[in-house]
Formats: sequence, C-alpha cells, structure tokens
Amino acid sequence: MKVAENDAVVQGMLQDEHERCRVALGALERKVDGYPKGALNVRVKQVGGRRYSYHYLVSREGGRVVNRHIPKAELPTLQKQLKERDRCREEIRSYKSRIAYLEKLLRIPRRKRSPRAQPA
Amino acid sequence: MHNLPESCFPPEIRNLFVSLGRVGFFERSVLIGSWVMPVYQVHRGIRYALRTTDIDFAVSLAYPRARMRADLERIITDLGFTNFISTEGIQKFSAGGYEVEFLAHRPGGKDTGTTAVKEWNINAQSLPFINILIDFAEETGLDGTTIRFPLPEAFFLQKLIVSPKRASEGKRRKDLEQCAILAPVLDDAVLQRLVQVQRFSRETKRYIAASCGSIGFPLQRLGIFISVEEKR
Repeated sequence: MKVAENDAVVQGMLQDEHERCRVALGALERKVDGYPKGALNVRVKQVGGRRYSYHYLVSREGGRVVNRHIPKAELPTLQKQLKERDRCREEIRSYKSRIAYLEKLLRIPRRKRSPRAQPA
Repeated sequence: MHNLPESCFPPEIRNLFVSLGRVGFFERSVLIGSWVMPVYQVHRGIRYALRTTDIDFAVSLAYPRARMRADLERIITDLGFTNFISTEGIQKFSAGGYEVEFLAHRPGGKDTGTTAVKEWNINAQSLPFINILIDFAEETGLDGTTIRFPLPEAFFLQKLIVSPKRASEGKRRKDLEQCAILAPVLDDAVLQRLVQVQRFSRETKRYIAASCGSIGFPLQRLGIFISVEEKR
C-alpha cells in the first residue's frame, strides 16, 4: 500500500496549533476558576399585595446545595461575571474539541492525549 | 487602492478588521502574521492556502498618546471574544478558536515582555524587528475601511530574520515556506532600500544568509554581502 509522505509544513502547523490550543485552554481554565460558581436564580415573593424579587446564587459546595443571597447593588457586577464565565466555558469547549481533533490528526497515542481533551 | 473582496476573510475575522479600522487602528498599526497572505493573494497574485488561527497585529508605539483613543479591549470583547492572559503574561482574545494578539517593537535586549499600550487599552508582546513590518506598509480597503499591512518585501525580510530563531521547527518551516512563495513577486529595489535603512548585527546578517540559503534566494538580491570573517 502506498502511504503519502508527511508534509513537514502542514505537520508542523498542526503541532503548533495543538500546542497553542493547549496553552490557551490552560489560560482560559485558570480564568474560569476565578469567576463565581453557580447559577443566578430569582425568587419572587408576594407580601401584602406587592411583589418582591430576590436574587440567589445557587451552587454546590461539597455535595450541598448552597443559596447565597445577592444584594441588588452586587447584581450587575455578578451578572457580568457570570456572562463572561459562560463565554469562557464556551471557548473552553471549542478548544477541547479542537485539541481532540488535532490529536487524532497528529496520531497522538490515546495514553498520551490531554486528559481534558477527550471528546464527550 | 485595491479593495479586498468579502470572501478574503471569514466573517468573524472580517468584522474584527473592520471594527479596528473604524476606530483608526490601522492609521499606523498593521495586520501581520499568516492572515496577511490572503491580502498578498489579492494584491500580488500569490497562492497560499494555509492559515493559522492566531491573528496578529503589530502596534505602532511611535508618538504614543497617553490618552486612550479607543478601548480595543472592549471593542474586541463586544465582538464575542474572551479576554485572557497567557502564562507569559500576554493579553489575548479568543473566539471560536481564533486568537487575537498584539505585538510591539522592542528596540533591543533579550528580555521578552509586554508593553501597555494606553492609546488602545491593550497589552502588546514586545519583540524585535516588528518595526520593519510597521515602517514599510501599504493600505487596502475592506468594507469601507482601510487596513494596513506590511509590504511583501518587509514581511519577507522579517521572516528571514526570525525564522532561524524559532524554537518550533514547524514555525521555522512555515516562515520559510511563506518566504519561498513570496520570493517571485518581490521587488529587488524595494528590498535593498529596506535593508539599507536597517542596522543589522553580524548575527542578524548570518540569520538572513542562513534563511536565504534554505530557500535558494540569492543574498545579493537583498544587497547584503557577507565577508568570510562575518560568516564565521
């Protein structure tokens, strides 16, 4: 069987791209760690005919579900942080799938592949 | 001035270039890296299909303004890019696998590092020989804005210098391949004028000679002559 010879330039670009993606992934994961965990929930209560809404950040801490009240003044900052965190997570997913694809192309043995780069 | 066709860049990259162009970024700063190759394809008729996913810009630091002219950090993140700092402390923006980075000229010294560019509210990675790309550039139109990019002769010369210094063999090969593709469309007079205004060290001349040797480009076309002593 005739096997095509590896193109050094294309192979090199793929390797560089793999390395670049791993570095970017690490930086994004570190960034995400610095953002608040959990999801923002709203509770609406009706007292004396008036409706009040309270914001809570719901997260898991050691197997427990923790609800933390968010004062109105902190809400815009938190919402901005959560939005940025979600955008980072989206980028992380895109890098992980790219790394998984590159590792297949580069024929990196499964045992040597990035543990976080395995496709879901 | 030529206009670039819409198909020259993917939509997200085109939007980025147009947004930077609208705030006047390309009045002095330039697009560099492999995304210049599609521009050369339109302007000089070369063919080169390979692109990396990193998008590099060289920021001009000449006549710096202390006052912020445009908040590029906000403009780029508003386009859907995520801002992050790499392990080397370099500010980058990422979206859909594309990575945006800014580079600035470093006049001397061996330390790499970053430079805060207040005028644009970004941090740029400082590297030598970036001035060649900024100082010898031309303009093209894209969606009603102007983009600056290095003259192919400047791009070629800068690649000849940095290629032997690359830590990655893949990057070195890619640099030389881009040089080999550009070689037939280069103007020798421009090349020589460009070399004349630089003050290259003996080591840099050796790097240029080594790169020229790798792609079979006559060193004389650059107007560089290396003595036997200098080769040592």
